[in-house]
Amino acid sequence: MSIDTDSPATATTGADFTVEGLTVHYGGVCAVNGISLTVPAGRSVGLIGANGAGKTSALRALMGLVPRKVSAVRFGDTDLARVKARDMVRHGIGYVPEGRHVFVGLPVEKNLLLGAYARPWDAATRASLAEVYELFPVLEEMKDRLAGALSGGQQQMLAIGRALMSQPKLLLLDEPSMGLSPKLVETILAVLQRLKGQGLSMLLVEQNAKLTFEATSTCLVMEHGEVVLSGTSAELSHDARVRKIYLGL
Amino acid sequence: MQVFLQTFIGGMSLGAIYALVALGFSLVFRTMGLVNFSHGNVVMIGAYLASTFYLSTKLPFALAMVLAVGGTGLIGVIIERVLRPLENKDFDLMLIGTIGFGIVLEALAIIIWGATGNAVPNPVASAPLQLFGLRIRTYDLVVLAIAATAAVLLVFFLQSTKRGAAMQAVAMDHEAATAVGIHVGRSNALAFMLGAGLAALAGGLVGPLLYVNPTMGGALGIKGFAAAILGGFGSIPGAIVGGFAIGVLDAFTAGHFQGYSELVTFLVFTVVIMIRPTGIFGERTVNRA
Repeated sequence: MSIDTDSPATATTGADFTVEGLTVHYGGVCAVNGISLTVPAGRSVGLIGANGAGKTSALRALMGLVPRKVSAVRFGDTDLARVKARDMVRHGIGYVPEGRHVFVGLPVEKNLLLGAYARPWDAATRASLAEVYELFPVLEEMKDRLAGALSGGQQQMLAIGRALMSQPKLLLLDEPSMGLSPKLVETILAVLQRLKGQGLSMLLVEQNAKLTFEATSTCLVMEHGEVVLSGTSAELSHDARVRKIYLGL
Repeated sequence: MQVFLQTFIGGMSLGAIYALVALGFSLVFRTMGLVNFSHGNVVMIGAYLASTFYLSTKLPFALAMVLAVGGTGLIGVIIERVLRPLENKDFDLMLIGTIGFGIVLEALAIIIWGATGNAVPNPVASAPLQLFGLRIRTYDLVVLAIAATAAVLLVFFLQSTKRGAAMQAVAMDHEAATAVGIHVGRSNALAFMLGAGLAALAGGLVGPLLYVNPTMGGALGIKGFAAAILGGFGSIPGAIVGGFAIGVLDAFTAGHFQGYSELVTFLVFTVVIMIRPTGIFGERTVNRA
């Protein structure tokens, strides 16, 4: 999967990402209770819910960053259930953590190059770098600045750019709109829609339901660690209950 | 003026040694947020290995040093591997673990080499250089050159290699580092290995200047630690500047206060740290404790 704007949407390798029976416990507290979800190849799926619903725990558990129980994690024909967090990127899973987590003491360009840590640093990496700069021109202007000196919005772009540097086939995004101004949320949305248009599979965890409905094709609603509602984003955005609770309408 | 310059130059070679010790402290702190309290004892092991290879097996000093650095680096890897299960689980136990390793290393040294120390002859036999009326020992120049080379190589590694960048990334955010595919444990092992290698370099070089004995780690460790703090803990340039500052300070206090020299050195250090708690090159570092 390339983030080249000219590449047609059919450039995806056509792998569905499936999770079954994902459970996360913190001490005695159950944060995620046996959820299952599928991200079809080239589609983007949203996971919305209130603060504390278990969205972030679910995503971190998918990556293997927290202890979990799971019946199956499959990406196409590959079984990822036993793959360690550090090797997920080598199976095409890109991860944008909640709260950005850029490498604050390193320059912007080093941050991006580290995104390609699992690949050799060669001409192809340079090409990916150029693509990320094309997507986020502000990062190129700031490439020699320390990541810690960037604004919140720029850091979010850097976090997304860093994940794209691994040339993922599936991008996991955790609250990319968190703490951003409405204008910056629009910018992030435009980027997500562009990536979606290029056929990159995405799993978007968000509290901002409006953003999620616009950026995804299907959505799951989480409450108390369980999926309580699912459907196409268009359907859900017209659902009376969802409108009341998550869109405040 | 003559005396001043002579003392200053005398402090430089020990300062270079302290700088090497401080670099090891700072490197491990930078990557893991951990103060390796066994570092001084690792320096001592390095000193013993270098002197043993040099004296008993009659190897050339340079080759003895290389073997000592390699062997001690391996000890660093072992320390990290034993402590790894505690990483991100119990930080206090990890700190105590490094103290424990220090005690074990000191006991091992006594068992292997005995409680009394041994003197290492100067490996550079040539007469001191006379320069503007100053006497400069050739060995001091060798120490300075080796320390400078090690520092330059370390900076190059951190700034210009993929592994060096990854090591710094681990220091800043180990979870994000994991997500981009970095093996955090292996990166920490490498940091410990490099730290131990720098310690061995310091120990091997200090052998001919001091007396090699099982308790030398305490004195060198605390001076190197002070140097790292003075420069700004975790900072690479800080470790170098801090090392020379402590070395030169040592040389002057030794000349003026004899038996009370250490007291005065650490008094000056304490006052500086009270005025500037982050050290000379105080910078943002990992904060996990």
